[in-house]
This record gives sequence, C-alpha cells and structure tokens, in this order.
Amino acid sequence: MIMEGRRAFGFLLTIVVIFAIAPLMAILFYTFTNEGQFDGSQFSRIFAHERIWRTLGNSVVLGIFVIIGTTIIALPMAFIRTKTSLYQYEWLDIVLTIPFMTPPYIGSMGWILFMQHNGFLQQLIPSATWMTDSFFSLFGMVLIMSLHLFPFLYLMLKNTLLRINGSFLDAALIFGRSSWQNGLKIVLPLVLSSYVLGSLLIFIKTLAEFGTPATFGSRIGFPVFTTEIHSYLSRWPVDIRMATSLSLFLLSVCLVIWYFQNLIGRKYTYGVLSGKTPARREIKDKWYIKTASWTFVGLVLLLSIGIPYFSIIVTSLQKVRGDGLQAGNFSFASYQEVFTSGSAGLTAFLNSIVFSIMTAIITAMIGLFIALYIKKGETRKQQVLDFFSLMPNIIPGIVFVVGLIMFWNAPWLPATIYNTKAMVVVTYCVLFLPYSVQYIKSSFSQLDASIFQSAAIFGRSNWAVYRRIILPLLMQGILTGMMMTFIISMRELVAGLLILPPSVETGATFIYSQFEQGNVGVGMAVAVITVLMTVVFMFLLDWLQRRGGQTNA
Amino acid sequence: MKKRRFKLWATAGILLTLALAGCGNKEVKETNEASAKTQEEKVLTVYSAGPDGLAANIQQAFEEKTGIKVEMFQGTTGKILSRLEAEKNNPVADLVVLASVASMDGLKATDQLQSYEAAKNKDKINSDWSDQDGYFYGYSASALGIAYNTKNTTQAPRDWSDLAKAEWQNKINIPDPSLSGSAVDFLFGYTAAEKTAWSTINTWKKNGLQVNGANKEALDAVITGEKNATIAGVDYMAYKAKADGEPVEIIYPTSGTVVSPRAVGILKDAKHVEAAQAYVDFLLSDEGQKLVADAYLLPGNKDIAVKNRAALDEIPQLSVDWMGAEAKQLEVLTKFTDLFR
Repeated sequence: MIMEGRRAFGFLLTIVVIFAIAPLMAILFYTFTNEGQFDGSQFSRIFAHERIWRTLGNSVVLGIFVIIGTTIIALPMAFIRTKTSLYQYEWLDIVLTIPFMTPPYIGSMGWILFMQHNGFLQQLIPSATWMTDSFFSLFGMVLIMSLHLFPFLYLMLKNTLLRINGSFLDAALIFGRSSWQNGLKIVLPLVLSSYVLGSLLIFIKTLAEFGTPATFGSRIGFPVFTTEIHSYLSRWPVDIRMATSLSLFLLSVCLVIWYFQNLIGRKYTYGVLSGKTPARREIKDKWYIKTASWTFVGLVLLLSIGIPYFSIIVTSLQKVRGDGLQAGNFSFASYQEVFTSGSAGLTAFLNSIVFSIMTAIITAMIGLFIALYIKKGETRKQQVLDFFSLMPNIIPGIVFVVGLIMFWNAPWLPATIYNTKAMVVVTYCVLFLPYSVQYIKSSFSQLDASIFQSAAIFGRSNWAVYRRIILPLLMQGILTGMMMTFIISMRELVAGLLILPPSVETGATFIYSQFEQGNVGVGMAVAVITVLMTVVFMFLLDWLQRRGGQTNA
Repeated sequence: MKKRRFKLWATAGILLTLALAGCGNKEVKETNEASAKTQEEKVLTVYSAGPDGLAANIQQAFEEKTGIKVEMFQGTTGKILSRLEAEKNNPVADLVVLASVASMDGLKATDQLQSYEAAKNKDKINSDWSDQDGYFYGYSASALGIAYNTKNTTQAPRDWSDLAKAEWQNKINIPDPSLSGSAVDFLFGYTAAEKTAWSTINTWKKNGLQVNGANKEALDAVITGEKNATIAGVDYMAYKAKADGEPVEIIYPTSGTVVSPRAVGILKDAKHVEAAQAYVDFLLSDEGQKLVADAYLLPGNKDIAVKNRAALDEIPQLSVDWMGAEAKQLEVLTKFTDLFR
C-alpha cells in the first residue's frame, strides 16, 4: 500500500527532521560550541545567574497554581455537564471553548484594562478600588491563565466521566455495595488518571505560554522562562547564547514532565470504551442543585468571556480613552480606520489569514502522509515518526522559534528562507503539525479493518482505494485539523514577534505593537475582528464534527 | 502499480512545491533581481524605531519622490539592535533609524556603519546630534518630560523632585529603559549631568515608581488614569495624544531635561548604498524635516518651524555628550534594572 516501506519512511523522516529536529540541534550546537570548539561554559553560565533560579521558581509556582486554578473551574464544570440536567445543553461546550480559543494576550489585555486603576471596573463600581491592588499580583495572573486553560482540562474530564457512565456503573450497581463505595472504587481511580494526565499537560502549557506573562506578568514584575528567552533576544543588550541556553533548559524540563506523563498514562489508563453506549437517562435535579449549577456556569462565563470581551469591545469603540465610559464617547472610528483599504491593521490581518491558510494546507498534506504511515503505531519506525511529529506539542513554541532562527541563520547554509514570508509559514507548520497529525490519526483509527478487507476484495487498485474510500472517510478529520490549525495560527504571537520579515506584520503582532507604540483602539478593533472570525470558525468546526458523526453512525 | 505510486508522489510533490512557492514567490523574484543586478537600487530595507505614523509618512513621500521601494521593519530601538545582532550572518537591512544616538555611536564603534559625508543639507542639521565623520545624522529629536493626566492632577509637577511627594505616591511610572531607547538616554543624560540624580531616582522608587513597558504603554497608563504621571515621557507622543483630545499635558522640568536625538545611519553591509544615501538626503531635506515637525518631533534643522509644541530653545536642557556613551549607558541600564528587580 501507499505510505509503506523504507522509502516512505525516509521521505517523511526527512521532512520532520528538517522542520522539527534541525532547529533543536541548532540550539544544542549554538549553546555548546564557541568558534567551533566545545564549550560547556555557556550553559553553566545560566545557573550562575540568581535571576534564572527566580525565573525557574516563578515558572514552577505558576504552573502549580494554574493546575489548582483550572481544577477549581474544570472539575465542577465536568460534573455539572455530566451529572446534572445541564447535560442536555450541548451549546455550552462550544461556548466553554471560546476562552481557550481567545488569544491569551488579548484576554489578559482585556483583564488589565478592566481591573487597572481608573479601569472599567472602577468606572462602573467606584467602591471596587480595593480589588485592583490584590488583582495585580500572582493571583491575577493565575486567574487569567486558569480561565484561559480550563476548557482543556474540562473536556478531558468530561469525556472520561461520560465513558464511565455506561457499563462500568451498571456493573458496579449489580455487583457493588453502596453508591459511595462504587464511586470511591470505580469512578475515582478512572477520573484520577485522566486528571493527572490533564493537569500535567496544563503544567506544560503554562510553562510554554508567552502571551499572558508578556502582558500581565511584565506588569507585576513576574518573569518566566518564555519572557526571559524573548527578552534576551529582543531587548538591548542582546544575549543570544543566553537565549539558546535557556531554551535548552526549558526544553529539558518539558521533556522530563512529558516522560512522567507518559509513564502515568501507560500505567494507569484503562480501556473504558466498551460496546455499550451510555444510555441517556433523564436527570431531574433538585431546585438548589439546578440553581447552584447555573450560578457556577454563569460565573465562569462572566469571568472567562464577559469581562475580557467587554473591555476589548469598549476600548475598540472609545473615542477619547481618557474620558472613560461616558455617553457620547463612542464611535466606530477605529473600525473605519481598520477597514480603510491599505491600512496597516487590515494588511496585518490579511497577512495572518494568508499565512494561516497556507499552514493549514501544508500541515494537512504532511499530516495525512504521516498519519497514513503511522497507522496504529505498531512498528518501531512508526512509533519514532509518531513521536517526532507530535513533539512540537510538548515543546514550547518559543524554543522552536529560537531554534529555527539559529538554524536558518547558520553561516554554512547555501540559501536561507530567513527574513522571507516562507519562514513564517515554515515556523507555523513546525509549531502546528501535531494538530493535523492528531486529528487525521484519530479519524484513521476509526476506520475498521473490514473496510480495507472489502476494498481489497472489490477494489481495483490501491490508488483507487485511497482516492475513493480512505480519503473521503478521512476528509472530516483532515478538515477539522485544518480549521484547528487555521484558528491557532491566526493567534500566534511569539513567532511573529521574532521572525517576521521587514514590512510584514500579522494580526497578532499588530495588536501587540499598538500597545507598545501606537493606537490601542485600532489594535483592539483588529482583536475583535480576529475573535469574531475565530468564533464563526468554531461553530463551523462543531457543525462539521456533528455532520461527520452522523455519517459515521 | 509502480506508476500509480509515482503519480501520487508526483501530485503531492507538485502541490507542496506550489504551496511553498506561493509564499516564496516574492522572495524568488527578489533574488532573481539581485542576481541580475539590473534593478538593484530599487529596493531599500529600513529598520526604523518609531514613531509609527512618521515612519509611514516618510516612507510614502520618499517612495513617491524617488520611485525606490522601501521595506520597513518597525520596532523599538532594543528590538532593532537585537535583530541586527541575530542577522549578523546574513544581513538584510541597509539603513537604521534609532531613537538613541548613543546606540548609533555604538554601532559605529563596532564597525557596523559606513560614512556618508557627502549628505546634502548636512550643514543645516544640529551638529551636536550627528557624527563628525558622517556615520550618522541626528535628523530629529524628542525632549523627555513629565507627561501628566490633566483630570487627575490638581497641581502640575514642575521639577523632577516633585514626583517624590506624597501626592504622587503609586501614581508615577517610567518607560522600561531596556525597551525604550529614549528612556536609556534619559537615565544616562540625567545621571551624568545631575549629581543628585540617583538619589532622586531612589526617592521615586520609594514613592512607588512603576517600570511600564515601551513608551506608549507608559503614556497609555497616564491617558486612562491608571497612573497620573510618566517620567521621561517622550514629548511627541504626549502632544499627539493631546491633539487627539486625550486629557494629557507635558511639562519640561525647570532644572532641565534630556533632549534625545534620533539618528539615521547606513549599515556597512548595506546592499543598496545609493538608495540608502537618497533616504538620508531625504530625511535631511526641508521636505523631510517638515514631516518630522508635523509628527510633533523636534527637527534636526532649527530653521524648520514647529507647531503646537515647544521649540528646542524653549526647553531647559541638561548638557549631555552622546559620543562614546554606549558603554556608560549599559552601566546605567544595569544599575537601574538591578534597582527595580
């Protein structure tokens, strides 16, 4: 069949190596050599800085608190959505993923504008002044990041709970004792393992996050790894070796965590998918459970969507920012400015769209080949490729960006794409390849062996089988992966900040730079447009998945 | 069978190439041009440290006048310097515009600039802001003052020491000097010219001085009323915000302040030297200088009238020697960051 054998492996491995491994090698090389000689002092230099230990401490503390924060939001939410009458409101799931889809720097800018001295909160409720000081602290940062990341943990927990609902509980009811004991012996261990996996991923994601630390963290003087790496590369005086050393360190931390996560995943994961689909039981709640559930959901939505979006939209509509919330102080001037043809904001936004579409197409193609090769990951080679293609998921984006800069600037390269638009697309492809691989792989795993068997019997050739049967069946996964890649590429900030060629800006860097040098109102208008488009795409995505689900069934 | 497999590979390959070519199109064209050496001088790459609007206006006027296309990278002085450093192996920029003469002088000292002594109009330009050997020209400057919120301030500050008073507690900020070239210039100039400078800075710190990102971020905090005053605020941004109706005013402290020149220089590795020289000429020309004045900056040519802002001779100045200042600036920067971190 296609995508088998040594040649296919060689081809795919070359792609992955050039795109994903070479940058990491470049980091290693740059960190450990000095004028062609091995030199370990660069790396050990980072430990001499007292600042590095503080940064490490900050990152770890932040990661732990964010795990706690996301748990507080996601765990009750998962129970509410599976155990109470709120299970029937499917739209809640889409709404609950909006915070995760909101670019983190936009979300935290919204929070800053809302909470600062004389911010929107104080204009609405003057007596809330006391909240400002306590908000601009680690607490605020944890809150913002938890509100951004919780959908991730929530979806994992919810899916586990849904699965357990089926035959496991029935079996427990038949053989078990009290419902309490059933809960302790069956539900808890099953939930616990997926919770641990989820929270370790949250930890890695927190370490990798750049947007919130760069906006909110710089405000409260809370440097973390990503912002330190960025500042060594973009502030005066520049220290590139320090940046690569730190990248290497961050990379190692993430790999260690990922290793533990894998260990736990292998040891404590149980097959919970059984033939029986969980029967939908009619759930009738007591009034207080219903009230409490809705209150909780409402509060989470208010904090995670209401407040940041309120600030963003109001700021984009304000005429004179110093006049605050006042009748007559609103206009569409910022939007007009954006939609004037040739305006910097519109150009940046369109650039983002072009980059994201290209990324989606290229990663979908590479992802398809890789997924076809990996199949279920039974052979060694398949596993190797699987690991390498999913690696960008566990390694913080900024590490890859640093590596790509070092690699494409290497003096021995005959030609370079650095400082061209191709560099941007290549970087996005490296960062977001895992999304398409994962989506395509998972829709591939749903194809039953019988399809291939009957195709082998009735089909004419392998090529026809692929074109007529497998590709159409995988199409939904491919499209979902492309949409996801598109959404994520649209909001990518740190890559843009470091590698965009002259005269080119993306929506994300435009918004960011409006805070540094320009007009915040216009920046926020672009943010609103970006987010609106994202939400439309998410509903499309959901529609696509539903449609796919029906044809599968 | 083999044929079919080949077909799939070929299609995939073509698609991939097309996709990559789509985004690489322009670059391919550019390298072709470069190798043909026919239109070599028609593209100019400029790395420019703000202000946004001015850079865009100058770019447009220059492109219209000369027909040379300008590729522009805009960022803070820190960002541009670091980009130059990262690109050492394959330089792209022809010309840099920095918001700090000391950094420019640093580029000259490390042999990264080339001289352009034959610049037109160079005699009209303030010689204090420019290099004697023509390595860079101070085509404009901003004065650093105290920008304050007119709504929240009952009594306007008059001198630097006023901001140590209780009424300004937790209400003051300063742009981050590692991001803002003008803020480093201020710290360097102020501490070099005033003996009591560091102790004044310490009293600000005790009074809750916040280090607040790049220039606009710091000023925005004052515009929205989060803070009441920005120390070392760049004046042209404040004038512009004021013209837009924001409740902001800027004053120059009576004991004197720092005027921070913004300079343009041609890089040694420039591939389009003639175009770069034309750009320098344009910045120093009366037309370019008028654009500078329109952006509320101080023109390098004193004869060009400024509008709605204080002219250079109306600003009480500290005397600062910019040449060879980079090493000392680094010292000041380190001392400052240590103090605030």
